[in-house]
Amino acid sequence: MSATLSVIPGPAKDMNASLALGRKRKRANRIVKTLCLTATGLGLIFLASILATLLSKGIAGLSLTVFTTSTLPPGSHGGLLNAIVGTLIQTVLGAAIGTPIGLMVGTYLAEYARDSALGNAVRFVSDILLSAPSILIGLFVYQIVVSPLGGFSGFAGCLALALIVIPIVVRTTEDMLRLIPSQLREAVIGLGAPKWKMIVLICYRAAREGIVTGILLAVARISGETAPLLFTSLGNLNWSLSLTKPMASLPVTIYQYAGSAFQDWVDLAWAGALLITAAVLAVNIVARTLLRGRK
Amino acid sequence: MSTTIEQSSTHGGVQTRPETAINTAKIDIENLDFFYGEHRALKSIELKLPNRQVTGMIGPSGCGKSTLLRVLNRMYDLYPGQRATGKAMMDGQNIVDPGVDLNSLRARIGMVFQKPTPFPMTIFENIAFGVKLHEKLSKSEMEERVEWSLNRGALWGEVKDRLHTSAMGLSGGQQQRLCIARTIAVRPEVILLDEPTSALDPISTLKIEELIDELKNDFTIAIVTHNMQQAARCADQVAFFYLGEMVEVAPAAQLFTAPKEKRTQDYVTGRFG
Repeated sequence: MSATLSVIPGPAKDMNASLALGRKRKRANRIVKTLCLTATGLGLIFLASILATLLSKGIAGLSLTVFTTSTLPPGSHGGLLNAIVGTLIQTVLGAAIGTPIGLMVGTYLAEYARDSALGNAVRFVSDILLSAPSILIGLFVYQIVVSPLGGFSGFAGCLALALIVIPIVVRTTEDMLRLIPSQLREAVIGLGAPKWKMIVLICYRAAREGIVTGILLAVARISGETAPLLFTSLGNLNWSLSLTKPMASLPVTIYQYAGSAFQDWVDLAWAGALLITAAVLAVNIVARTLLRGRK
Repeated sequence: MSTTIEQSSTHGGVQTRPETAINTAKIDIENLDFFYGEHRALKSIELKLPNRQVTGMIGPSGCGKSTLLRVLNRMYDLYPGQRATGKAMMDGQNIVDPGVDLNSLRARIGMVFQKPTPFPMTIFENIAFGVKLHEKLSKSEMEERVEWSLNRGALWGEVKDRLHTSAMGLSGGQQQRLCIARTIAVRPEVILLDEPTSALDPISTLKIEELIDELKNDFTIAIVTHNMQQAARCADQVAFFYLGEMVEVAPAAQLFTAPKEKRTQDYVTGRFG
C-alpha cells in the first residue's frame, strides 16, 4: 500500500454540490416510490372488492342443487350441473387436442428451426394467434366447422378452445426448451445419441415443470373463455353429453343468466362465477407449485 | 448397434479389446482445417494422439484447442456453417469424412465438458442412458456395467448407496466424475476432456487428475486445459496452440523446460496468454 493511493487523480470534488445532488436523488426516489405504492394500492382495492363481491354473492347462490341439477326455467330451483360438466368436457378435450400440437410446434421451433425463415414465420404467426381476440377464434370455427356441418356442437367448442391452447403451449414449450444449456445437449449428442432421443429423453425431462406449467396455464385460460363458445357450442339449457349437439358451459351460462330478470338465475350466475374463479385459482396454484419445485 | 466397437468379450463390465501397440498413433491428424463460416479457426493442424497416452492441449483462449476436440467427435455437425477439411485418421477411417456414422463415432470417442452436465435423472439412469444407446444388456449386466464404470470413474464408493437418487444432488466434483463414468460406460477408445476441472475446487481437481492417470491404461486421452501445471502433471505429451496453429508438440517435460519455439517459450513462461 503506497501513499499515492490516497490521492485520487482528476479534478477535486465540490462536496456541497455532491451533497445537493444526493438530496435531489432521495427526493426523486421518494416521489417514484409513492406513485408506485399508490398504483399498487388502487389495483389491490379493486381486486379485493371484486373478490369480496364474488365471495359474498357467490356463496349465497351456492347450494347442493347447483351441483346436482341441470339448468331449469326460472323459479324451479335449477342448478348448474350441465354447465359444469360441459365446461369440464370442453376444457379437457380442448386441452387434449391443443396440447400435443402445441408441444410439437414448440419443439420444432426450439430444436429444429431456431434461425430458419420458416421457423421465424411460424413463431410470428403463433404469437399473433396468442394475442388474437378470442371472439375471432369463435367466428373462425363457426365458419369452418359449425356452418358447414349445419349446427352448433360441443365438438366445435372444443376446437375453438384448442386453438387458444396451441399458441400458449407453443410459446412456453419453446421458451422452456431454449433455456436448456447447449452443453447439456452436447453431452447427450456426445454419447452417440440421435437428436430425437436427446429431445424426447433428456430435453423434455429437463424442461418438464416449465412445459407442464404452460399447459396448466392454458387450461386455466380456456376454462373461463366465453366468446369462442358463443359461436360454437352455443350453450344448452338441457342435460347433454353429446359432442355433436350444442353443449352448456359455465361461462356461457353466466353470460346468459347474469343479465336476466330472474333473481334465482342471477344467483346461479354468481355461484358459477365463483366456481370458475376457484378452479382457475386452483390450477394456478398447482402451476406455481410446480415452478417452485424447479428451483 | 455397436458394430464399430470391436469387442472380444461383450458381457457386463469386462474391458477387453484387441491390443494396439502403445506408441502408435490412435488418431493421426494431418493438414486439418476448420471453419466457423468464413473464419478459419484451425490452420493445417498436424498432430498424433498416441495410443493410451494423455495429450495435453494448451494455449490462450481462442487458440483453437477446444475447437480441435470438437472436430474429433464431430460436435460441430450440430451447428450449420461449421466445417472441417483435411484428415483425422482413426483406424484407417477419416473422422471428418461426411459419410462417417456419427453416432457410432461418438460412441468410440467420448467427451467430457467444462461444466458438469448430469442428466436430470438418477445416477444409475445417467450411466445406463449412454449404454442403452449402443448395447442391449440384461438387467444384471446393466447393473454390473454401472458398477464397473462408476468404479472406473472413482465414484462408486461415494454413490453406491444412492444410485437411484437424482444425479442433480451430487456435488460439482462428483457430477464431473459421474460424467466421466458415463462416458467410460459406453466403452470408448478415446476420451476428450475439455477443461474438465476448470469449474471444480482443488480437491475435486486432484481426484480427476488421479483418475486421468489411471484411465490412460485403457483409453487414449486428450485434455484441453488452461492450467499449465495440470498439463505438466497429467500429460505425456503437450501440444501448444496459438491463433489456430499447432505451434509445437513435445513430451511434457521438454515442452515446459526446453521448448523449441519462441512463442511456446513466451507462453509457458507467462510472457502472454
